[in-house]
Amino acid sequence: MDNIYQSIVEALIFSSDDVLSGSEIIKAVKGIDGDDTPITVEEIDNCINELNNKYEHSNLSFRILRIANGYLFATTKEYSKYVGYLSSEKSKRRLSQAALETLSIIAYKQPITKPEIESIRGVNSDYILNTLLEKNLIAISGRGESVGRPLLYATTPEFLKYFGLNKLNDLPKPREIEEIMNDEDFIEQKRKIMMNALEDTMENESNEDGNADQT
Amino acid sequence: MYKIKLDQFEGPLDLLLFFIKRDELNIYDIPISRITKEFLEYVNLIKLLDLEVAGDFILMASTLMHIKVRMLLPREFDEKGEEIDPRAELVKALLEYKRYKEVTEELAYYESNQRKMSFRGNFSADEKVAVPEYDILLKNVTVYDLAKTFKHVLDNFKEEPVHEIKRLNVSIEEQISFILSKIEEAEEINFLNLVNEIKEKIRIIVTFIAILELVKMSKIKIKESANFNDFMILKGDYIG
Repeated sequence: MDNIYQSIVEALIFSSDDVLSGSEIIKAVKGIDGDDTPITVEEIDNCINELNNKYEHSNLSFRILRIANGYLFATTKEYSKYVGYLSSEKSKRRLSQAALETLSIIAYKQPITKPEIESIRGVNSDYILNTLLEKNLIAISGRGESVGRPLLYATTPEFLKYFGLNKLNDLPKPREIEEIMNDEDFIEQKRKIMMNALEDTMENESNEDGNADQT
Repeated sequence: MYKIKLDQFEGPLDLLLFFIKRDELNIYDIPISRITKEFLEYVNLIKLLDLEVAGDFILMASTLMHIKVRMLLPREFDEKGEEIDPRAELVKALLEYKRYKEVTEELAYYESNQRKMSFRGNFSADEKVAVPEYDILLKNVTVYDLAKTFKHVLDNFKEEPVHEIKRLNVSIEEQISFILSKIEEAEEINFLNLVNEIKEKIRIIVTFIAILELVKMSKIKIKESANFNDFMILKGDYIG
C-alpha cells in the first residue's frame, strides 16, 4: 500500500521551484496535521523511492532528485536535447578546467583561504575565485585565524545542485597520495627508477674513476 | 618544436605533469635538468603572450633551477641521517595537485550528467530579456559583498584636485624698505627677530631674498650670530 504521505510529499515538491528539504516537508505536514503526526525523514525518503518507481513504471519524463540536501523535480536525461532547445539556461557554458580544478580543491579542503588554494594549484587564482563567486558556486564563509585574517571560501548549496550531489559526502573521494603511489603505474615506474638508480650509481662510479684518473 | 596550445595548461604544475606523462617519466625521479630545459622553452613562449600567467611559470622555472643546482651539490641529510632529495617538495606538490586533478575529471563527468536534467522552474531562470532580476541578484548578497562594493566605490571616488593660488601682496622692494627701516631704528638686528612678527611663510622667504638683494647692493652686511641658527643684519657702512 502506498505511504499515506506520498501524495502530500509529491505535491509539496512539485509546487516548489527550488530544492525542498525534508525538514520543510515535515514542517508543512505537522503544521497542518498536528505536531504529533508521526512523519520522519526516513518515511519521506521512502516516499521518494516509491514515487520514482511509479514514474519509472509509467515511463514518465521526470523524477524526483535527491539534491543539495533536499528534493527537486527534474526531467530525465532522454529529453535533455528538447528541453535544452527551448531553454538557454542550460546552454550556458560549462565550467572551465581551471574552475573545476579550483572547485574540487575548495570542496575537499573547505573552508580554505586563497593562498592555500594557490599553493596547491601553483597558479594565481584571483580571477577563477571571482568567477566562482559570481556563479554562486562558492561563497565567503568567514575569515581565517592566520595573519591578515584571510577570507575563507566554501562551497554553496548551488554547488551541490550544479553537480547533482545531495551532500558533500557524495563527492568522489580523492585518492590519497599513498594510493597514487601504490598505483600499478607508479610501482612499475618505481621499479624502473630502481634500475636506473642502479645504472646511475654504476655510471657515476665509473665516471668518478675517470675523473680520478684525470686529476 | 612542439606546438602547445597555451590555454591547455592550468598552471606550472599542470604543465610539469604533462611533461611527466608525455615522456613517461617517473614522478619520483624527475630528470630535473631535462624538464627544466623544456619548461623554460615553454615559459619563453608564454612570456611573450601573457605576462600575468607567466609570473607563476617563471616562479616554477626558478624553483626548478634551484632544485637543479641543489642536485649538483653534495646531498644534505635530515635529522635521521637520511638523504634529502631536493626534488621531494616538488614531488609532493605534484602529487597533491594530481589528487585534485583526478577529482576534477570526475566533477566534469558529474557536471555533464547533471546538465542533461532540467529542474523544475528551469525556464524561469532563463533571461527572457537582458535585464537582470534584481531581487534574485540580491538574494545571496552577504555582508562581504556589501563591504566589497563599498570599498570599490570609495576607491573609485576621486576628489577633484583643487589648487588654490593666492596672489601675494608682498614684493622684494617692500621688504627692502621694511628691513632698512628696521635697521635704521636698531643699528643691528637678528634675522629671527626680524621675521618673528611675520606670519606667512612666503613673506619670510621674500624678506630673505630682500636681505640677499641688500647685501648685493652693499646696503647692509650680515654677520654670523652667536646663535648658529641665526645671523645678524648690520648697516652697510658699518665697518666690522
